Amino acid sequence: MLATRVFSLVGKRAISTSACVRAHGSVVKSEDYARPSYVDRRDYPLPDVAHVRHLSASQKALKEKEKASWSSLSMDEKVELYRIQFKESFAEMNRGSNEWKTVVGAAMFFIGFTAILVILEKRYVYGPLPHTFDKEWVAMQTKRMLDLKMNPIDGLASKWDYEKKEWKK
Amino acid sequence: MATPAQLGLQNATSPIMEELIAFHDHALMIIFLISSLVLYIMSLMLTTKLTHTSTMNAQEIEMIWTILPAIILIMIALPSLRILYMTDEFIKPYLTLKAIGHQWYWSYEYSDYEDLAFDSYIMPTYFLEPGEFRLLEVDNRTTLPMEADIRMLVSSHDVLHSWAVPSLGVKTDAIPGRLNQITLASMRPGLFYGQCSEICGSNHSFMPIVLEFIYFQDFEVWAS
Repeated sequence: MLATRVFSLVGKRAISTSACVRAHGSVVKSEDYARPSYVDRRDYPLPDVAHVRHLSASQKALKEKEKASWSSLSMDEKVELYRIQFKESFAEMNRGSNEWKTVVGAAMFFIGFTAILVILEKRYVYGPLPHTFDKEWVAMQTKRMLDLKMNPIDGLASKWDYEKKEWKK
Repeated sequence: MATPAQLGLQNATSPIMEELIAFHDHALMIIFLISSLVLYIMSLMLTTKLTHTSTMNAQEIEMIWTILPAIILIMIALPSLRILYMTDEFIKPYLTLKAIGHQWYWSYEYSDYEDLAFDSYIMPTYFLEPGEFRLLEVDNRTTLPMEADIRMLVSSHDVLHSWAVPSLGVKTDAIPGRLNQITLASMRPGLFYGQCSEICGSNHSFMPIVLEFIYFQDFEVWAS
């Protein structure tokens, strides 16, 4: 009984400790998705916040220099200011990927797998076709359809030349 | 009957079917136009480089794409209703007969004549004469005179069936306890096939209908 009491105390401690680690253990940040956030979106060109929120000393100095005339900024400084504001440029965010090859490959694989199943089915599961699918029967059937003048307007019988007894050219 | 892998409608044997084929072409053309327009717009939307995708005020196009579909729907509805009323036109039928659905055969009663009634079972595959059509032939065909208005009363003895002959443009539900009336008229002699069109049990696919339209004089001979 004492042992179980000790065990439950240790157990409770372990659970609370791990909960604390989950909440405050990660050093980076806990995302609060209710606050304005940064997004790289083609249809939202000016995100709500800058990409870099905590500027280093040199970056802060650069921001001060930005308040003066921009013609005094070098190209590198302009790029640095851009990268403070934005994570990816339009060209970078719109870049294509090779994902389509994976998708097409996976689709073809599954189609092929299904084809194997269908072939095995036809070979091992299905019985023979009815005798009405034999070539001779189909020929007799077609002759009967022509004799009955079935679909004579633009269907089967319209394609048969009844005088010459052959298919129309 | 249909040829293998046929996609479209069978050729018309009755005037109503001719109207239905024309209406079908009309409605299908509208459907193709709308579908290709939508597909084209979708492809434009997927390949645009424009970035402003949140719409604001678009009053004019909203008006257009409200009024235009209404007009298109009216253009479909008017011919449709015309044909609907055409099928209900009052005619003086030359002949009246009843088609009663059973599980799983049709029975026909020619009450205009004395003692003319018979059952029409499917011809099993192993009994077919050479060249006959599998799952479509019956032992007793329904003989009718061509170029005459025929009143068909369709009902059922047990469960729901449906009496359908596509080349005549006819499909009438066979409902137990109810007589549904449809008028038939064939412009050509010959055999016209149909199948039961309402699920009615295990042999629903195996209760076909064969109409044999013959000349008037021959029909009188057959009936007597």
